[in-house]
Amino acid sequence: METLRILVILPLYGGSLPIGRYAASALKQEGHLTEVFEAPAFYPAYTALSDLKVTTDRLDYLQNSFLNVVSQSILAKVETFQPDLVLAMAQAPLNQQALKRLRRDGVATAMWFVEDYNLFTYWKAFAPLYDVFAVIQKGAFFEDLAAIGQPNALYLPLAAQPDFHRPMDLSPVERRKFGSEVSFMGAGYPNRRKAFRELVNFNFKIWGTEWEGDHVLEPLVQLKGARVTPEECVKIFNATKINLNLHSSIQADELVTFGDFVNPRTFELAACGAFQLVDKRTLMPEAFAENELATFSSMDELLEKIEYFSSRPEERQAYADRGRARALKDHTYAQRMNSLLQFTAERIPGWPKPRDASPIFGVNYPPELKRNILDLLSRLGLPEDVSFEDLVWAVRQQQGKLNDLDTSILFLDEWRKLYKKKS
Amino acid sequence: MKNYLVIQLARFGDLVQTKRLIKTLLARPEATVHLCLDASLAPLARLIYPDAILHPIMAHSAGTYDGNAFLKMLDNNWRAFAELAQLDFAAIYNLNFSGLNFRLAALFEPEKVEGYAWRNGQEVIGHWPAMAMRWSGFRRLGINLVDFWGAYCPDMLPPGQVNPEATPKGGGIGVVLAGRETRRSLPAPLLSRIAATLAGSRKAQRLVLLGGRTEQAAGQAVIKDLPAAVQRNAENMAGRTDWKQLVETVAGLDLLITPDTGTMHLAAHLGTPVAAFFLSSAWCFETGPYGLGHIVYQASTDCLPCLETAPCQENVKCLNGFADPGFQRFLVTGNPGHSPDGILTLRSEFDALGQTYIPMAGHDSDAPRREVLRRFILHHLTGTEPLFDELEQTFAQQLYRDKDWMTADTHYGIQG
Repeated sequence: METLRILVILPLYGGSLPIGRYAASALKQEGHLTEVFEAPAFYPAYTALSDLKVTTDRLDYLQNSFLNVVSQSILAKVETFQPDLVLAMAQAPLNQQALKRLRRDGVATAMWFVEDYNLFTYWKAFAPLYDVFAVIQKGAFFEDLAAIGQPNALYLPLAAQPDFHRPMDLSPVERRKFGSEVSFMGAGYPNRRKAFRELVNFNFKIWGTEWEGDHVLEPLVQLKGARVTPEECVKIFNATKINLNLHSSIQADELVTFGDFVNPRTFELAACGAFQLVDKRTLMPEAFAENELATFSSMDELLEKIEYFSSRPEERQAYADRGRARALKDHTYAQRMNSLLQFTAERIPGWPKPRDASPIFGVNYPPELKRNILDLLSRLGLPEDVSFEDLVWAVRQQQGKLNDLDTSILFLDEWRKLYKKKS
Repeated sequence: MKNYLVIQLARFGDLVQTKRLIKTLLARPEATVHLCLDASLAPLARLIYPDAILHPIMAHSAGTYDGNAFLKMLDNNWRAFAELAQLDFAAIYNLNFSGLNFRLAALFEPEKVEGYAWRNGQEVIGHWPAMAMRWSGFRRLGINLVDFWGAYCPDMLPPGQVNPEATPKGGGIGVVLAGRETRRSLPAPLLSRIAATLAGSRKAQRLVLLGGRTEQAAGQAVIKDLPAAVQRNAENMAGRTDWKQLVETVAGLDLLITPDTGTMHLAAHLGTPVAAFFLSSAWCFETGPYGLGHIVYQASTDCLPCLETAPCQENVKCLNGFADPGFQRFLVTGNPGHSPDGILTLRSEFDALGQTYIPMAGHDSDAPRREVLRRFILHHLTGTEPLFDELEQTFAQQLYRDKDWMTADTHYGIQG
């Protein structure tokens, strides 16, 4: 697909935030000119409003006003960057008014709703306002979306980012810190709390947040239950013999819920080449074959398989290798983004709209200048046939003071705008 | 040694009007002043600012848009920018509100850039120029552009040290045919009449018409309308002078008759007396001749100053005062009683802020408010408040924005 301009709107915080970053990274890798709206930078100011000790109606007004400013900031960015697509992650701070404005202005929008639609039901208000609505579940959800005016729903499961989720050589210190026989990385949902009480006799480490108040598990919780960074997660996955992956549930009656979507950890562990024991999901068979993931369906089976795999490193390695190969083949964010863009092109007539694309190189180009521009393209990760307009934006994305060539390209672009109009 | 860079990418008149800033920087100990400007003005800049190091770039001089200009511009500017990037500047004064200036600022750390900066891909306007943009809402009060640019330096030189006091040089009268914007120039027949009157009253031995190549025909029209006695001594030099010849010619004149033009500022720079005719969008308190010894005839109808780009709905009534027969009489007698309505005659003067103009004939109804504004700006810039006026609150509310107050640099604060 040709080089597109894509504006990725991150959420203020939350689970879709790292996924948004992976998606943006993958879009860049695929050669698209990608700009990221850094909504998390606004979040501290938003939370400061909650500390005001004012009447609730005032607080409500202030919060809405603030979020409106954030939405307006996105619109301003759209106006300057002129993206082919605005890709919003779940909970992106684009209010309904802003979405209507984008639609009026003919700017294509897509939402990647990486949430459980049964638990996170706000999609009912927002889904019809996006041109494309990508989801991680199937079945009735598609019918519901169509019923409320969203015909362009796409099943787009989660994935891994291979340059980040990868096998790592860890130092002995890191192995000691992040490693164990068995570990779990994630929040302390009720089903997990209940299940993990039965694992206290293993060499078991629990990483992540929301584990407070459980005296049995508390000794196993690492870093005093602090948030674990994505970089640390990768180290944990790599350092652990058996990574447990139990999909979350808010009820504790059934430990394994056989829910539908496959969580990001499944793909991330696989891409890391780490061995995991994961609970069965209804959408799992189309993502991984039986011999690519070691699964369990009950607490008994989990215990049994921990015992089994503990003493069989070759089998663990074989699963890990096959899982990694499958993840790299079919489950990367680059592939997801390509599917999304393909789908968008199929569903939105005339998308992407043609835009000005002037060639950079013409005849009689001074060799030294050409050589330097080719170096610049390489530094910015742009193809040699990139348009001048896209080069200008890529130069503008750089931080700090720019060099002579960068500056002369920006300068030339401004001059062109001034004098092209006049001529 | 400290390097300072001034980026002035606008035209002839603006280049000359940058003088208070450049002279201030040159006067600093151990200072080297660099001037980045459009290549077309480099020969002139060498004459006006011989002590500055020039960095000519292609900003406007590349001509019309085509592939050749595109490539030439990229190649030339890349080399010029490489030279700039190698220098360590203590401060960069980036003077023009233009996309070109913002982009050029990308070469420098934004903290060192005064005026129009570039921070991680974002255009940033400094507090001082942002404030100045706000008083465009009351242009009749304004301050002189020379002082505005000079005020980027807290140590700006006194206004009297910018240009020499103007005195006649013996070379006759020069007449500038037109400014860049035609509506603010006098039409040829009227200009001819005024030139003839001033030449006659001053017994000028020579009348020189100045302008670009496009004004040659206008020059002929002006000459044709002159009385025979004046015509005999008139010479149409429009389009026939290079920068050096223009400077030499203007430097030798007794008087320059001109609308608001670059040549007018050049005359002020050279200490040649100016008789300036300001109308339409030109307002002398913003861009009048800088220095002592100049006269401005300022049209003062209630619609002024207007926007040159907007069509005039008033039938260019600001011309009426100049066309009034009484105006010719006033030019000869200088008697305020002869001055027609709609014309304000002013002589150039200085106050603590810089250039101002004092009425010689006509009533300057804006003077009281202007004086308060000037005191307000002086206080803002220097901390000096000769006399407080309650009206300053109105200016404060209009010129200061909430974000100025909330995000101002506090290096002058008590925490020091």
